[in-house]
Order: sequence, then C-alpha cells, then structure tokens
Amino acid sequence: MAPPAKAITSPVPDAWYPTLAVFMLAIGLVLTASFFIYEATSSKRNRSLAKELTTGGVASVFLGFGSLFLLLSAGVYV
Amino acid sequence: MGISRFVLLVFTISMLASPALSDLVLSKVDRRIYLTSHIVRISSTLEVENAGPETVSKVLLAFPDLQAQNLAYLMASPHEAKAKVKGLTVGASFTFDVLAVFTQALRPMPEQIGQADIQLVLYQDSAYYLSPYVVKVQSLSLKVPDSRIESYTTLQSTKVQGSEIKYGPYENLPAFSSSPITVHFENNLPFAIAQELVREIEISHWGNVLVTEHYKLIHGGAQSKGEFSRLEPQARENVQGPSAVRYLVAHLPPRAHSVYYRDAIGNISTSHLRGDSKKTELLIEPRYPMFGGWRTAFTIGYGLPLQDCLYESEGRRFLNITFSSPMIELVIDTLIVKVVLPEGSSDISVAAPFFMKQWQETKISHLDIVGRAVVVLEKTNLVPEHNQYFQVYYKFNRLSMLREPLMLISGIFFFFVACIVYMHADTSISKFSASYLAKQQWEEVRVAIQQVHNIICRCLATHDKLEASLRDLSRTGEVQACKAARKSTDGLLKELSKELKPLMTFLQSSPSAVQVLSKVEELVAKEKELLEKLMAKHSTAVEAYEKKSGARDIENRIALQQQKITALRQEVDDLLEFIDEI
Repeated sequence: MAPPAKAITSPVPDAWYPTLAVFMLAIGLVLTASFFIYEATSSKRNRSLAKELTTGGVASVFLGFGSLFLLLSAGVYV
Repeated sequence: MGISRFVLLVFTISMLASPALSDLVLSKVDRRIYLTSHIVRISSTLEVENAGPETVSKVLLAFPDLQAQNLAYLMASPHEAKAKVKGLTVGASFTFDVLAVFTQALRPMPEQIGQADIQLVLYQDSAYYLSPYVVKVQSLSLKVPDSRIESYTTLQSTKVQGSEIKYGPYENLPAFSSSPITVHFENNLPFAIAQELVREIEISHWGNVLVTEHYKLIHGGAQSKGEFSRLEPQARENVQGPSAVRYLVAHLPPRAHSVYYRDAIGNISTSHLRGDSKKTELLIEPRYPMFGGWRTAFTIGYGLPLQDCLYESEGRRFLNITFSSPMIELVIDTLIVKVVLPEGSSDISVAAPFFMKQWQETKISHLDIVGRAVVVLEKTNLVPEHNQYFQVYYKFNRLSMLREPLMLISGIFFFFVACIVYMHADTSISKFSASYLAKQQWEEVRVAIQQVHNIICRCLATHDKLEASLRDLSRTGEVQACKAARKSTDGLLKELSKELKPLMTFLQSSPSAVQVLSKVEELVAKEKELLEKLMAKHSTAVEAYEKKSGARDIENRIALQQQKITALRQEVDDLLEFIDEI
C-alpha cells in the first residue's frame, strides 16, 4: 500500500502574490533611485566600485523577485 | 482496434476448439441497448454456468465483425460488487456485467436532409445474442429517444412499450445464432464529433495547472443539403433544424478558474459558466448552429489550483488529472494530450488505465533556458467513458524553482552593470582638447570645494561643542571643565585651519575656480569672524563665573555678543548651502 500522497502547493501562498509584488518592487525602485543618485552626484575620484556593485546587486534582487510576483499575480504562471 | 482483432482471433480459435468451449453455458443473458445518443451503449448482464468437467477461468465474448470495427470501449465487471471468483468450479455460476460502447454505429437514413427536416437514423443488430456458448434464456431491449420510431423488425415476441422495444425472451438457442433486426427511428440529439482534439496541460509549481483544449468539431449526422437560411432558425427557434448542434456542455473540475472560449477570430461571448462544489459546468454555443457535415474549430482554456492535481509520494511528484475532454457525449477521433512539465523535471513516466501511444518533446515557454519536457500521449476513437484519471510521475528538485527569479535578477543586474561601465568609461576622443582639460580642472575644483565644505562643517561642530560647554557651565558652575573644553577646541581649530590652507592656495591658483572663489573666501572669512566672536563670548562668560557675579548680570553681558553670533551663524549656513549645490 503506497504511502498517502501529499498535495503540493506553491512555496509562497497565492494570496500574498500582489502584496509581495508591490512591496518588493517599491523597495527595488527605491534602491535603483539611490544607485542612480550616487552615480550622478559622485565625482570620478570619490566613486567606489564596491558600493556601486552592492547597491546595483541588491536593487536587482528586489526588482527581480518583484517582477516575478507581478507576473504571477497577473495570471502569467511562469 | 486491438480488442476487435483479439476477438476475431479468438473467434477463429473458438471455431477450431469448440468441444472445449461448450463446457460453459450462459444460463441468462439480459441485453439493454441504449440508442438515446449518437454513442451506442450495450449493457449486458450474463450469468455463466460451468457445465463441464473442469474448472474454467476464461469466458469468451464475441462481437460481429461490423460491430467490432466501431467498438470504442469495453469493460466487464462482476454484477455484485464484492464477488471475486478465481476460477469457476464445476456446477457453479457467476454473474457479470459487460458494457460495450460503439461509435458511428447509427447510420443516418436518409443520408441528406434539408435544414428544417428531422434526422432519422438506422441501427442494425441481432436479436439473438452472438456467443460461442449455448444460451438458455435471453432477452433484448432497445431504448430509443422519446420520439417516434419509424420502423422496426418484428419477430416472434416483439413488443413496444413507450420508447422501448423488447425482443424475447428466447430460450435454448445454439451457439453463434443470430437474427438480424433493424430499427429506424428519429434521433435529434447532437451528433458532435471532434475530429482532432489537442489537450495541453501545463504545470507551474507556483500554483496553477493550465489546461488548453483545441477542438476541431464536425457534425456527424445526416448531411445538410439545399440552401441554408439564417432567418428561419432565428424566427422559429425550436422548430427549425432540430438536429443541429446548437450548444455543447462541458463539465470542468471544481475550482476551475480563468475559463476562456475563443477561436481564430477572437473571443466568443456566447457561453455560460456555473460552478458548484462537485463540478464547474460550462455551456458554450458555437458561432453558428452546426448542421450536418458542418465544421467548427475553437479553443477552451481553464486553470486549476495546484493542490487539486499535483501530489508527492516516495520522493516523486505526480500529476493526477482526467485524460479526455470534459465535454459530455462527445466522440473524439484523435486525441493528443501534451503534459508540459516544469523546467528541471527528470525521470518521467506515465501510468495510464489503458494503452496509448507515448513520446516526449520539448517546449520553450516563459523564462526558459533549455525548454520544458513534454510528454505526448495519443489515442484514437474515444468516448466519454475514456475520461478517467491518469498519472504522470517525475522528479523535481525544489531549488530548480529559483531558476526563474534568478533569470530575471541576472537580467536586471546586467542592466546595472552596463550603467556602471558607462559611467566609468572615458569616451573622449582627444585627451588634450580644450574642453576635456577644462572639464578635468573643474572636477578637481569641485573636489577641493567639497573638502573645504567638510572642514567648515567640522569647524562649526567644534563651535557647537564650545556652546555646549557654556551651557554646562551655566548649569553646573564648573569653570575648570569649561576651560579644558576651550583648550581642546583651540587645538582642533588649529588643525582644521592647517588643512584649510593648501586647499585655499589651490583654489586661488586654478583658473576655473574664479566664479566660486569669491564665495569660498567670503565663507572662510565669515567663519573666522564667527570664531572670534564666539571666543570672546566664551572668555567673558568664564570671567563672569570666576567673579561669581549674578546670573542676570552674565546674561546681559553676553546678550549683545550672542545676537551678532546668531546673525553670523545664519550667514555661514546660507553660504554653505550655496557651496553645496555647486
């Protein structure tokens, strides 16, 4: 007798998709803004590559997850 | 097809081996033929008795050749639910039910009808049950739709009761006896046949199973002849064209959502959806009523929640879903089911209740790198009884789900890296042109000004420290602490002015700093003035405390100086702001 099968659900509850999308995109856009402000106001000598890369990296993580949840909440189940 | 060939083979073997087969006797056969739809269902209850010397474990069922061609589904089950017999012992008897479903067994007669005519069909069968064994008692009843019966073959014991024609009971007939009968009756029920149905089931582990069904339907009844007029069916709806296919009903699983119905032109709005806890009922009307021989093609799609279909057991995941179309009373000529598994699935296998052709393909869909594995199943000649559950097993690593967000993240990060590269790249063509040199010098001036700004801010911070020490003095009256604070701030200010000197000389020497130089010098001068005033105030306050004069006295002495100090401070702040904006 096979063990009873367990139903599989998504790792993140469905109802959270729109909220998660909005918050992640908001945070991602704020970080993008700070990245571009840093690029615009710093002069060549003061610029630090490490700071640029970290800001860009964290912003892209949030924007990536935010756009994934945006796609899922719109019904495009990728 | 496979079943009919097997039956024919057995038929021939039975002819050669008849002495062994005559051991079994069918003591009672009840046949009910349902002609109420374009799918013919024959339900027989057979009671078999072992009259021979040995235990028998097989019973042969025979079908006439012509009928066997149209056999779509065959199932035998015990009559009583719990009965399980290993072998039929001598003298014992066993009852079981056989359900045989035939497609295209009804022949439209006349073969061509006008738009307003009713549809009459012909059914041919045998009044005696065709069997390799002797049949003791048998009876047959045919059920036709509640309409008129044009004609039927009359044999010895034939009677008509409402919409049922009964033949029999006949007794003690030898093996392989048959007596052909024909029934000609009216059948206006929709003769919808799907010539090709492609069913695509796409699994997304983020919470949805998307089913898309592409239909190519044809009306398989009497062909339509003559002219077609749109006015007549609309004028008197239920009278004209009674055999036309006006609507189709599909029973979707419960909790189906995002149902759509469209074709190559676009969305078709003539549809109704109604759901309850057991099923979701979808009623769709094609763009035009389908008369005999007409075709239509459309697509239906719907989504199912993941937990209804996908399960996990023993480390493997499996999809449990119905195989065939959810439409009721639809005959399908060719059904192709494609199960699209998410990227990263491996070790795929299918468990199905009947035989079907299988192979694998690849499909590239949203956010895919290498493509998704697709299991394709094909089967021909299906009836609604084939709509059973089947399972597709596969292995999937949970971490593969991160592939999709990682693709998005890497795309966006590539954009940021491109921005960084652009900002860092030096795209000037000539490094010695006047504008390039001017830009470089301005950059240096800007840096120097920012440093000046920094220093002035630090000076102001030390001023604040002095003021704080004064306030402490007024609170606690400790003069020594105040004097110590004064000494430390003196030291700090000396250092700051040392840092300021080279910057000022640089600014004075560089040609591009001319515009801002005046402001910077003004700022430095004002700051010096402020410092002097503050120092004076501090000394007066300390002296006053040493002399131990009254509080109000001290206030009065400081008041004038304080006013000047606040005014100067304001100016310094304004200048700082202006410099900040450069």
